[in-house]
Amino acid sequence: MSNKLNIVLTALLVACGLSTVNAQYQARHLFVDLERANTQAKQLDTEWSQLQLDQSTLGKHARIEEIARRELNMTQLTPNRTQYLTEGDK
Amino acid sequence: MTRSSGTGPARVARSQGVSFSKSPVLAVRLPSWRSRVVLFAMFTAFAALAARAVWLQGTSSQQQFLQKEGANRYQRTQELPAVRGKITDRNGQVLASSIPVRAIWAAPEEVLAAPKEKLRALAGLLEMSEAELRKKLDSDRNLVYLKRQVEVETADKIKALDLDGMDIRPEYKRFYPQGEVMTHLVGFTNVDDRGQESMELAQQNNLVGKSGSRRVIKDGRGRIVEDIGGKIEPHNGKDVVLSVDSKIQYIAYTQLKQAVEHFGAKAGGAVVLDVHTGEVLALANYPSYDPNDRRNLTGAQLRNRVMTDTFEPGSTLKPITVSLALDTGRVKPSTLIDTGGGKYTILDKTISDTKAHGVINVGQIIEMSSNIGTSKIALSMPAQDMWEMFTKVGFGQQPKWGFPGAVAGRVRPYKSWRPIEQATMSYGNGISVSLIQLARSYMMFARNGDTIPLSFEKVDKEPLGQQIIKPQTAAQMREMLETVVSGKDGTAKKAQIPGYRVGGKTGTAYKVENGRYAMPRKYIGSFVGMVPMSAPRFIIAVMIDEPTQNGHFGGSVAAPTFAAVAINALRASNVPPDSNITEIVVPTDTGPEAM
Repeated sequence: MSNKLNIVLTALLVACGLSTVNAQYQARHLFVDLERANTQAKQLDTEWSQLQLDQSTLGKHARIEEIARRELNMTQLTPNRTQYLTEGDK
Repeated sequence: MTRSSGTGPARVARSQGVSFSKSPVLAVRLPSWRSRVVLFAMFTAFAALAARAVWLQGTSSQQQFLQKEGANRYQRTQELPAVRGKITDRNGQVLASSIPVRAIWAAPEEVLAAPKEKLRALAGLLEMSEAELRKKLDSDRNLVYLKRQVEVETADKIKALDLDGMDIRPEYKRFYPQGEVMTHLVGFTNVDDRGQESMELAQQNNLVGKSGSRRVIKDGRGRIVEDIGGKIEPHNGKDVVLSVDSKIQYIAYTQLKQAVEHFGAKAGGAVVLDVHTGEVLALANYPSYDPNDRRNLTGAQLRNRVMTDTFEPGSTLKPITVSLALDTGRVKPSTLIDTGGGKYTILDKTISDTKAHGVINVGQIIEMSSNIGTSKIALSMPAQDMWEMFTKVGFGQQPKWGFPGAVAGRVRPYKSWRPIEQATMSYGNGISVSLIQLARSYMMFARNGDTIPLSFEKVDKEPLGQQIIKPQTAAQMREMLETVVSGKDGTAKKAQIPGYRVGGKTGTAYKVENGRYAMPRKYIGSFVGMVPMSAPRFIIAVMIDEPTQNGHFGGSVAAPTFAAVAINALRASNVPPDSNITEIVVPTDTGPEAM
């Protein structure tokens, strides 16, 4: 009787041990995934900062003015060439 | 017997029944205790080892040290870096941002042992000659830094060289996309990411991040396999939103730059304030510098004249004196005052106007900028009242707007004023203020007689004002300021802009050097004005320092710059026009004017 119990317990013990190993294995895998995702998030963050910076650099008013004047032949508008529209009856 | 005697001994031996191999002489006769001693010794040795192990792991004072050392074989503390906050303008445009870069360190001995071609490649990547590299490596220290703020891609290439003894550490580099246009407002950081100037310095505590750390387990290939807690979260620096509008700032900077070059001036400053919120919408200085490349920086470039330079404001101060007289009921805009023939002597000193104005009213005194008229009004008031007025608008007071290096200016205590000084102070001589203080003092005219604190950060709701003069006085003064620009005798006709009503006051001051007026005369031309007059939105102040060509009066050097900034700022902010005049022809010669 006690012999049978021992066998069952031993089997249980082995099963538990194996499942611990498995759980640890899974945990490490998931952790690696998490790390990768975190790194990616950080990279995207950096990239976003870089793009914001690029936007600001390329959107510099000096550059816009230069392009507008030179390449697009635009001139500044003056009030005597401007038609102001007012809402309503005024 | 003889036969037997020949074979005797062997037989005897055989007869004894004992072989040689089992000779009792040769039999091992070790005492049994010896093996026990050895066994005991071995056991004792093992026991000692076990005891030592138990002692070291359980009770020793070195236990913690040893456990830590053990853990160090597989555990690592990983630093979690924090990023310095961004600085943006009021519309979210980035003015300063940190991007990760690398610092390249090296252990000299190990790196010098590397093959020659690898060293050459390293020098090439670091953009230095091989000799320079060797010089840097010629050090007794364990670790020297070869170059900081290296781009990540270059650092990756250096890593790919696979040199022994290289250490590549992450750090951040600050970029300022708006460059010289914005630098006097934004400032810059040093190589250790600490703010050095302007808002970078003022907001250092907000901007700076707090790096964290965590313990991890690394495998043989250096990959992180497990996080074992003890995590200290990193906190990135907060983003700071400034009050500045980059569009208006750009306009102010470019117009100022043009003016300084056109008038051959030494320097210039311009500031744009929001009348409703007290926000600083633009603050420009010229000469300026590029904060991304500060190698040849001079003091003149670094100088934030709008905030830190004081000057005698000259006539721009007249409206403040006159408004005090109006507010206390001493004069009305229509009160007539005799300014005589352009000369007026107080005791032994004579003050003068540019020409004889005769009998004019208070409004005309402002319009034509009469020194004598203003002096006469001033001398009808107690010195203490004038001093209190100057103090209330902020002159001589340390500004509390959170901007490093802002100066208080100088107003001498009223008890020491002599009458001639009270007279000259009424038109802005013998008192010193910064341009931003001057601009702010006009806040009470642009608003309804109250003034509000300035802010360099974006403001969400209108701050509470402090009443200085009656709303009615402010309205009267606005009318007078408008005649300065559009009246027939106005001194600032060049400040007119098509489509909008403008008001303001010119000022021309002699520069003081070493306590006396510089000879030959050096001028500071200034103009402070507001637009649109129907409901003021902006106060704009312009100062041109030492103009040497094409004029030097405030009305000719600073007023046009004001007009150019104002028209663009109004359009950029979608302010509807409040005047039908669309074409303005400013006479080229507006004539001389008072100081």
